[in-house]
Amino acid sequence: MRGQTVEQPIYWRFNVLHRVVHLVVMFAFIGVGLTGFSIAFSSWGQAQTFVWLLGGIDSVRYLHRFCAVLLYLCVTTEILWVLYFKLVLRGNLLGPNSICFSRRDLRYFRQHMGYILGRRQAPPPFDRFTWWEKFDYWTLFIGMQTMALTGLFLWFPEFFSRYFPGVFVNLAQVLHFDEAVLAVFYKFFIHTSVRHLRPEVYPGDWVIFTGKVTKETMMRAHPGEWAALNASQRGPGLGDQ
Amino acid sequence: MKPRLQTSAAALCAMAFCFMAFWMVGSSTAQEEPSECLDCHRQRNLNSNEGVLSSQRFCYNCHQEPGSHGDFRASKVSLQVKPEYFLTSPHRYVACVQCHTRVAQSPHRALSGVQCASCHPRMYGAPGTHAEHQRVRCEACHTDSPFVTLDAANNQVKLAHTNDKQAPISLAKHKVTDVSRQEFCSRCHVSNNQVGAPTTVLPSKSFVCIACHYSPLQMGSPVFPVAIIIATMGVVGTLAFWFKASVQGEVASVHRKVQLGSEAVWSKVFSWEIFPILKTFFFDVLLQRRILANGVSRWFIHSLIFYSFFARFALSFLALFLQKFSPESELTLTLVSKDSSFVATFNDLTGGFILAGVIWAMGRRFLTKPEYVSTQEQDTIALVIIGLVTLSGFLLEGIRLLVGQIPPHVALSAFFGYAISRLFSVVDLGWQSMYGYIWYVHALLWALFIAYLPFGKLKHIFTTPLSLLLNYKRG
Repeated sequence: MRGQTVEQPIYWRFNVLHRVVHLVVMFAFIGVGLTGFSIAFSSWGQAQTFVWLLGGIDSVRYLHRFCAVLLYLCVTTEILWVLYFKLVLRGNLLGPNSICFSRRDLRYFRQHMGYILGRRQAPPPFDRFTWWEKFDYWTLFIGMQTMALTGLFLWFPEFFSRYFPGVFVNLAQVLHFDEAVLAVFYKFFIHTSVRHLRPEVYPGDWVIFTGKVTKETMMRAHPGEWAALNASQRGPGLGDQ
Repeated sequence: MKPRLQTSAAALCAMAFCFMAFWMVGSSTAQEEPSECLDCHRQRNLNSNEGVLSSQRFCYNCHQEPGSHGDFRASKVSLQVKPEYFLTSPHRYVACVQCHTRVAQSPHRALSGVQCASCHPRMYGAPGTHAEHQRVRCEACHTDSPFVTLDAANNQVKLAHTNDKQAPISLAKHKVTDVSRQEFCSRCHVSNNQVGAPTTVLPSKSFVCIACHYSPLQMGSPVFPVAIIIATMGVVGTLAFWFKASVQGEVASVHRKVQLGSEAVWSKVFSWEIFPILKTFFFDVLLQRRILANGVSRWFIHSLIFYSFFARFALSFLALFLQKFSPESELTLTLVSKDSSFVATFNDLTGGFILAGVIWAMGRRFLTKPEYVSTQEQDTIALVIIGLVTLSGFLLEGIRLLVGQIPPHVALSAFFGYAISRLFSVVDLGWQSMYGYIWYVHALLWALFIAYLPFGKLKHIFTTPLSLLLNYKRG
């Protein structure tokens, strides 16, 4: 979208709610990661300095939990959005506009691999969300559930050890840490590079912040959705998302 | 002349320095330091259960014996601690010296009492309750001895060494009170108590009280949830009414109205337009330029109320923030306490401003009646609610200072409250039980304020800034 001179039709990809949720998740995730790792690596000088800067271990613990609660509120918002999408907007959860995986994604994945390996001439006609976008979404979404569960065990060990053996608290500690490493690596390296380092969008893909895409992007990245839009004779504007 | 002046100044400084040095040395040697046992004797490793039990055993050598006693007012008080009993205590794996930190010394006397705060955060668990009881020592509530006393010397409520018949009692039982039962409140909160507690056990503040006071994140008395539900219904009704109108040409679909509206807000916030909007916020909302344009006295009246509320909200919010992030810091404990000199002065000053603003506005409406002041019923209701809330707050403060027997050097910081407490001390209308009633009046009035927010004049607190921001001027 940079340097464009001709007024181009705009297609709305993310509404304000999803942009807000992404912004909040972004900062809360960074917050949870920074505070969490400075607790986990408390013997390191850098972590100690950072903890000192934030006002001591109690304050860092509080911040960690604050960010975590914020993150989980975003997960709740997404769940409520799914209900709204299904019940009010009458959306199809397995349709082409849904973030949920469907059988089609398996086919597209095979075709996409074929394209990457040079066996096909063109990439498959991706719909609104490609398989790696769905993968991005669901890794975080499912990861949040397990992080929340193990996190609750560590937050309220007295409560949970009434019903589970004490070793579950230790298990929760290990799993919470391991999954944190996985999630941070996935989000900070794979998610950001897949989004922003592709030649078409480098140095950055701003769609999650602006919410809008051009006709060219639609035709290039979401040909399936583009075809569906034109087939139903819907002009540019705000589509139901 | 000049060098001589310098010399004499230097000599004067030197003398002053010597005097200070002598004074400091003298003051440090004036008190005889008790000799600490653990300076020479080995401290057990109190991080292990073994070390703790070994340390306990050392104390039990004497304190287990039935004859173990202390002298209190020429009579013997048992200091016997029964191990079989202490083993059922939640502190069974804590060494005696971890709580009684100043006993391992000669002479062997525990003058400082038990030090709960060396392990437990002072506001832990129930910050609302603990904030109201800052001058009550932990053990006065949390141990099982029912006799408490107000120590006038340091303005602290502590466990009494005598029972209600002034006979010395033993406090060596070490039983922790079950705080889930309400009865433990009634050792102080009964009629004619001597420790300055109001007769009624009052509920905790609600989080809506944060507009003026530090308050924990709790619902508090049931009147507040009711008020919040009414207010929420009002807000939802207002929003539903707003979204009945068309948004950018869209008349039917609420989904698209919300989408278009939110899109418009988003595209303004993330654009250069944010600067004129912020400018409008600063001048028109914060500095209230438009009210000033209407008249200086009008701006003055509104500012007396607005800035006082604003400042109180800011300070209370800061206290809540600090209580969450740094619960043990001195600043937190100062801001949370009503009797700390800064908070007391600040509260009386801002409360006085609000009351002055309300009285001035009422005077203009009903006495001087300038032509440009148009009085509506709604305005009067809002002013009366705010005025009565503030007035009842001052009455409460006065009664609290009187009933709580707060020493004058502490109470004077709340200058209005102290004056009221002196006034009330002339006649005794049973202030101890009166406090509860006036507290409920104050709370109900504030609940009324909250419930009335989306309906009457008070709605302007939100709608006026909103319409000012929506109608901002560019450049």
